Order: sequence, then C-alpha cells, then structure tokens
Amino acid sequence: MGEVKLFFGPNHPGMHGNFSVHMYVEGDIVVKARPMPGFLHRGFEKLMERRLWYQNVALIPRICVPEPDINEACYAMAIEKIARVEVPERAQWIRMIVLELARIANHLWSFGGIGGPTGMYTSMYWAVADRDRVLDIFEELSGARIYHMYIVPGGVRKDLPPKLEDKIYHLLDYLEAKIPEYETFILKNRILHTRLKGIAKIDTETCLKIGVTGIGLRATGVPYDIRKVDPYLFYDKVEFEVPTATEGDAYARISLKPKEIIQSIRIIRQCLEKMPSGPVNVKIGEGSGLRIRVPRGMAYVHVESTRGEYGYLVVSDGGEKPYRVAVRGASYPQGLYGVEHLLPGTRIDDVPIWLDSMGVCAPEIDR
Amino acid sequence: MAVAARVAGVLLTAFFFGLTFEGIGRKVTARIQKRYGPPWYQNFIDVLKTLTKHGWTHGWIFDFGVVMALGGVIATLTFVPLGNFVAFPGLDNFFVIVYLFTVGALGMAMGMVGTGNPWASIGVARALTLMLGYEVPYLIVITSLLYNFKTSNISTIVEIQSVNGWNIFRFPIGALVAFICLQGMLGKEPFEAPIAPAEIASGPMVELSAKYMGLLMLMNTFMEFVEISIFVDLFLGGGNYFEFLLKYLTVWIFAIMISAVLPRFRIEQAVYFYWTVPLLLAFIQVFLVVAGM
Repeated sequence: MGEVKLFFGPNHPGMHGNFSVHMYVEGDIVVKARPMPGFLHRGFEKLMERRLWYQNVALIPRICVPEPDINEACYAMAIEKIARVEVPERAQWIRMIVLELARIANHLWSFGGIGGPTGMYTSMYWAVADRDRVLDIFEELSGARIYHMYIVPGGVRKDLPPKLEDKIYHLLDYLEAKIPEYETFILKNRILHTRLKGIAKIDTETCLKIGVTGIGLRATGVPYDIRKVDPYLFYDKVEFEVPTATEGDAYARISLKPKEIIQSIRIIRQCLEKMPSGPVNVKIGEGSGLRIRVPRGMAYVHVESTRGEYGYLVVSDGGEKPYRVAVRGASYPQGLYGVEHLLPGTRIDDVPIWLDSMGVCAPEIDR
Repeated sequence: MAVAARVAGVLLTAFFFGLTFEGIGRKVTARIQKRYGPPWYQNFIDVLKTLTKHGWTHGWIFDFGVVMALGGVIATLTFVPLGNFVAFPGLDNFFVIVYLFTVGALGMAMGMVGTGNPWASIGVARALTLMLGYEVPYLIVITSLLYNFKTSNISTIVEIQSVNGWNIFRFPIGALVAFICLQGMLGKEPFEAPIAPAEIASGPMVELSAKYMGLLMLMNTFMEFVEISIFVDLFLGGGNYFEFLLKYLTVWIFAIMISAVLPRFRIEQAVYFYWTVPLLLAFIQVFLVVAGM
C-alpha cells in the first residue's frame, strides 16, 4: 500500500482546537507528520501593543481557553515587576487559590478527557460535570465561568465574596472523595492500559532538547515544577509535593493528573488557612483610572500551568500600552516539534492520544 | 395473515421499536454519563430531518452503495423471526439470513469507499477486519447450536426452547461468546474501532450528509435489529411478540451499559481478543455439544 496523506484537523473530532496535522501514512503507521498551525492566528501579541495595559486583561485569557488564569497571572506579575509594585499579601494568596482552582479544572478536563481518544466517553462527561463545580466557584468569584479577568495588575479585581471560602472547602472535600473513584474507573481499566501504556512515549533527553516541561517532563522522572524551582506568589510558603513517574508514556502522564489535583487541593487548603485580611489591590504606575502608564522596563515571568512552563515577556517603553508582549505557550514544543519528530512511527490510533496526553493547545501556538 | 402484511409488520416493528429503543438507549447512556439526554423520540426526529434535506452525492457508486446497503438489510430483516412472528414461515433459515446480511454490509463498504475519503476507507477496512475477528467464534458457536438441534431454521430452535428452556441456560458459554460477538457487530465499545470518531473522524460516516445519512441511520437501526433479534431468538427463547420485544430491549440496554463504561480496543487488539478468549470458549462449547454434555 502506498503513502496516503491524511488531514488530522482542523475539522476532526480528535483534534484540539483549530490546529491541523498533515499525516502521511503507510497502512496504519504515520511515516511523516507536519503540524499546521495558523488557523487561529488572531495576533494576540500584536493586538496587545495596540491596547491599553488594562484593556489587555480582557484579551489575554483567550490565549488558553481551558486554563485562562495563567495568562492573567503572568501578565499582571510582569507589569508589577516592571513597575516595582508590591502586591497586597491577601491578593497573592487569592491569586494562588485561583490558579490552583484553574489547575484542578483543567486537570479534570484533560484527565477525564482521555475518554475522547480512547472511546470511554463516560469519564469525559463525569469530569466535565465535576469541572462545572469549579466553574461555579469562578462564577461567584468573578461573574464569569471561563474568562475570569479577575487577576489584574496590582492584585485582584475584588475581594472574595462572603461565604465563598466555605464553598471552596466544600468543593475540595467533594473532589478529594471523588478522585479515587476516577482513579478506579479510568486508571484501573485494563483496556485503557493497553491503549496508553508504552504509547506516545517521550524520554527526558528529548523533552529537554525540544523544551517540553510540565507533566510531559515530570512523567519521565524529572521533578521540574516552576512552583518549586522558581517559586512565585507564596508557593515557597506552602507544602506540596511534585508527583513524578518514570515511564514517559501516555499512561504515566495521565496517571499524574489526579495526583496533581490532590496536591492542588492541599495547596488551596493552606492558602485559605494562611490568608490574612486586608486590601486586595494596589495602584499601578502613573495615570488615572484604567489609563495607566507603566515605567520603562522589561520583565519575564513564568508560572506552572497544567501543561508546563507558561511565560510572558513584557516590555514597556513607559507609555500607556505595552511596547511588546511575547508569550511562551506551554504546549508549543510538543505541539510543533513533538508532532513533527515524535509522531512518525506511531499508529493513527495513537495520534489523538499524543495530542491529548501532552495537552496540545492550539491558541498557545498561534498566539 | 397475508405475507405482505407480515412483511410490513416486521419492517414497521423494526422501524418503530428499533428507533424507540435506540432513543431509550441514548437516554440510559446519558444518565450513566450524568447528562439529561435527548427525548426517547429523538432518533425519529433525526431520521426524518436528515431524509428531508438535500445532500451531497459522491458519484453513482456511492448512491448505489447506500441503496444496496439499506435494501440488503431490509431484505435480511424480512426473514428474521420476531419470536413466533415470522414473515416467511419455513424460510427463516440462519444461512439465508447470513447470506443476505452480506449484501447490506458489502453495499455499505462499496458506497463508503466510493466517497473517495481515506478516513472512510480506513473505517471500512477496520469494519471488515473486525468482522473477521468476531465471525469466527460467532459462527463456531452458532454452528454448534445448529448441530445440536439438527436444524438451521430459527423458528424451530425458538419452538424447541419453549419446551426445553432457553439456550442461554443450556449453553451459557455459547451465549456468552455470542453476546461478546454481538457487541462487536453492534460496533459498541470496546469494539468501536471502525467508527472511532477521535481517531478516524467516524470512518465510514465521514462523508455522509442529509438523506444519505438518514438512509444509513435507518440501515444501522435495521442492522442492529437483525443482530439482536437473532441473539434473542437463538438464546433467549424468542417468545410471543411482546415477550420478544421485552427481551430485545433488555439485551440492547445491557449492551449499551457495557458500552458506556469501557474504552475501545485498537483494531488489532480487538481481533486478537476475539481470536483468543471467545474463540477458546467457542471451542469449549463445541466440545460440550459434541460430547453431549
């Protein structure tokens, strides 16, 4: 049988977002894969240069739909770094809570979401239903379920609503009881083992060579987590572990997700206990209202997203708008280099498993 | 009752109850998945809506394939006994049904490959490969039953069960193998590889639109009706019309529930599975029948 070209996306149920992989297959084996980004290129980085510093808060969450809060945190922290502003302590704790809740929501989505490429759709629906509980908290906190625009330069938009802390505790208790159920249903399924073990494998050397971080790297045995190696906010004041695995395959990556959810629950509990009362935001730069000017300077800030290191390089020329903003999308390495170099040799069946377990997110590549 | 009326009765039963039970199945799946789910009559809406739309053809092979698929399955259906309700008494022979069933399957394969879409070709290739997997243990088990009863007439086997008890109790191993094979015939998890939306964009269905989709949805409903009906007749004793429908619904819901909680095998894993566990069990069944145990 000769070589056949297949279009895996953008219109394909196994593709994540507006992204495409042109695959050349012989039989069921992929012999060549070419990632084709660009379907979603709205020019986020360039758009940011034409908007006021505060206006960008509404734009940047769109760069990563499943986990938008990391964009808000990176952007705000970079501006604060340039302006040399000390954010109130309470705001920093609240930011940690928001980031970890977002982490739980996205991990739930992708952990249950493995049911998509493997055909176990029930796990997907269960996880989405539980993710909705996290979104309920976000809705009460910010008025929005997905794009919260809650973390702003100088702190957070407003303080926690009354009784929200109790609801968060209740949610954490619920999720803590639920995770073992998920583990039994998904991770102990023997058919799923045959679909995931030894599949979409990547080793440490390749991860480091092409820049894969996050769960992709941790599944190869490297405990690299920005929250530990370069702590931001108050991550150095809370106790948590960095789960790792050694196999480097899809199963190892998926099995780390519930463990990370447990750690996030642990972090949120500590944040709620340690969080003092006080103001939650402070004025940034010069100017009035939303029309501020940030002093001349440059800063790179990175945070740990569910898919790895997520960073913003922000440059200010002292004006009302950013001079340049560059985004390091966490899934850029695995979405481009990984697809091109590691998909050849795998089967068609395993392509969506690669994209899902590595957390390829198209908007991050097309930013 | 005239033959034409009996044929109409079988086809209307398959149409109405097939779509209704599919709707109930969707509701059950939805509840397992913590969703509300569509109403039980959603499949009627889907079929009627798609049949009234103008769709894209992919040439005469595609058109002919779709008609041949539906026609083949309808022809098969008319020979399937619904318990003691038979359109062609005396002609409801297992081999006739298997022979006619191939026409529908080949029609679908021809039509879908005729679209020229490689995803459809991969899906059809997978479907035929999977067929190779489940048909070996399935036919071994059914042949052992036919050997045991010294007939290939399904109505006769149904009648014998009304006296001797259901075959599911007399031949539990064979019933288990047949049910595992049934899951593959229905294309339900863990044997969903020929469709596998996230892998091959729904395979055979990738180029279907409007009335072509509607016709093949009907074909799929009739196909499921044939497959489950044979299982009910051969292992659950058939029964009268209403008993038959109740048994049919039970088997269907059971298949749906298993499907809802399992992931899918890769195609070669599915064939490997069929040629190991069910095949071994099928041989044990043959041994027990031949040994008269």
